[in-house]
Amino acid sequence: MTEIYTPKSIQEAISFLAAHPDARPLAGGATLIAMRNAGLIEASHFVSLSEIGELQGIAKTGEGIRIGAMTRHRETAECDLLTGSLAVVRQAAGMIANRPVRNMGTMGGAVSNADPAADYLPALACVDAVVTLAGPDGQRDVPVRTFVQDWYETALDEGEIVIAITLPAPRNELSLYRKVARVTGDYATASCAIAMDGDTIRVAIGACGPGPIRDTEAEETLRGHLANPEAVTAFAGQLAALADPIDDVRGSAEYRLALIPRLIHAGLRQMKLAEVA
Amino acid sequence: MTKKTLLTLTLNGEETDVATPMDATLLETLREDMGVLSVKRGCNQGVCGSCTVILDGEPVRSCLTLSARCKGHDLRTIEGYEADDIMASLKQHLTQSGGIQCGFCTSGVLLSAQTYLAENPHPTRDGVKSALSGNLCRCTGYRTIVDAVCDAAVEVAR
Repeated sequence: MTEIYTPKSIQEAISFLAAHPDARPLAGGATLIAMRNAGLIEASHFVSLSEIGELQGIAKTGEGIRIGAMTRHRETAECDLLTGSLAVVRQAAGMIANRPVRNMGTMGGAVSNADPAADYLPALACVDAVVTLAGPDGQRDVPVRTFVQDWYETALDEGEIVIAITLPAPRNELSLYRKVARVTGDYATASCAIAMDGDTIRVAIGACGPGPIRDTEAEETLRGHLANPEAVTAFAGQLAALADPIDDVRGSAEYRLALIPRLIHAGLRQMKLAEVA
Repeated sequence: MTKKTLLTLTLNGEETDVATPMDATLLETLREDMGVLSVKRGCNQGVCGSCTVILDGEPVRSCLTLSARCKGHDLRTIEGYEADDIMASLKQHLTQSGGIQCGFCTSGVLLSAQTYLAENPHPTRDGVKSALSGNLCRCTGYRTIVDAVCDAAVEVAR
């Protein structure tokens, strides 16, 4: 039987995890409990992070917007602070699964799990978010673009947990999240997060490799050429060249590669319409 | 024997004590320790929606919620809506439309639909579909369920 430990502070959680190597931190449970139910994981303890006040909620800080790791998708999907360049994060939250799951799942849990087909990581990579980790040796910040290191492997070391995700202050830009999924609420077959400021864009592709795909040099090359469809197609090709998609039940690797330019073109069209309106 | 722990929670308006295994899910506690059999175990993976319950006013998956987390919280199952007009109308229209066949998904569907209509008294058909997207039904093909929710909305608004 798995014991449940419910610490009230980050420090208590870290100390407990350090002393119990077979314990696992538990965020919203939307994935971890499903895995436990399926017999895929065993743990001596679940360290439930649900009663740690420091991990809750979204707030403006000196550096931007800080989203506590235990913030549920629903709260993120409704957050008025996530505007302009950060709207992409709000939209991604609102496209995760369905309402009951959005009431349970958390950003910290989703980021830690690093499912390549999940929605937050591309949105967070697009806006250059930073993940704050806490562990026995203290706290450290990791840019989300280097947080995912391989399939389901992250920068988290033994005994560390994600405590917050910080987004740079919102800029007056358009941003959006698009995904292709078999049905509403499914994981992405492929997804795309875009932020646009006049003649420059930032784009991150999801579900086409272990982590979100971005190419800042290609973004720089595209500057000033957004209205040129061939330039956009060439840009999409540069992102596709960095992709490492898999064949699975949601689509073949070949299909995923074909979706990348379509997602980017469709996203840009949608933004132009939003600009006019 | 599995070690049990004592929890106090509010079930359908009544404060209730229950002895349940410490690592039980809310689904297990409801069905096995509280005898609430309207809450169904379908996939046990959070996908199918047949175990949906209302925790502090919000729909959640009871199969993914640890009971320990519900200590002192407010829980509602379909039995807690006996006096609810929206629920009464939903039940009537679901029965009439043929939106109930085997019935396994029904309590989850009703709880999702009730929550949605309580907040959206004048829904669109697409809105209803989206609100029910987390509840799988393998019998009806959904059309009769969506019909019933739309009809109930019209009746309640009248």
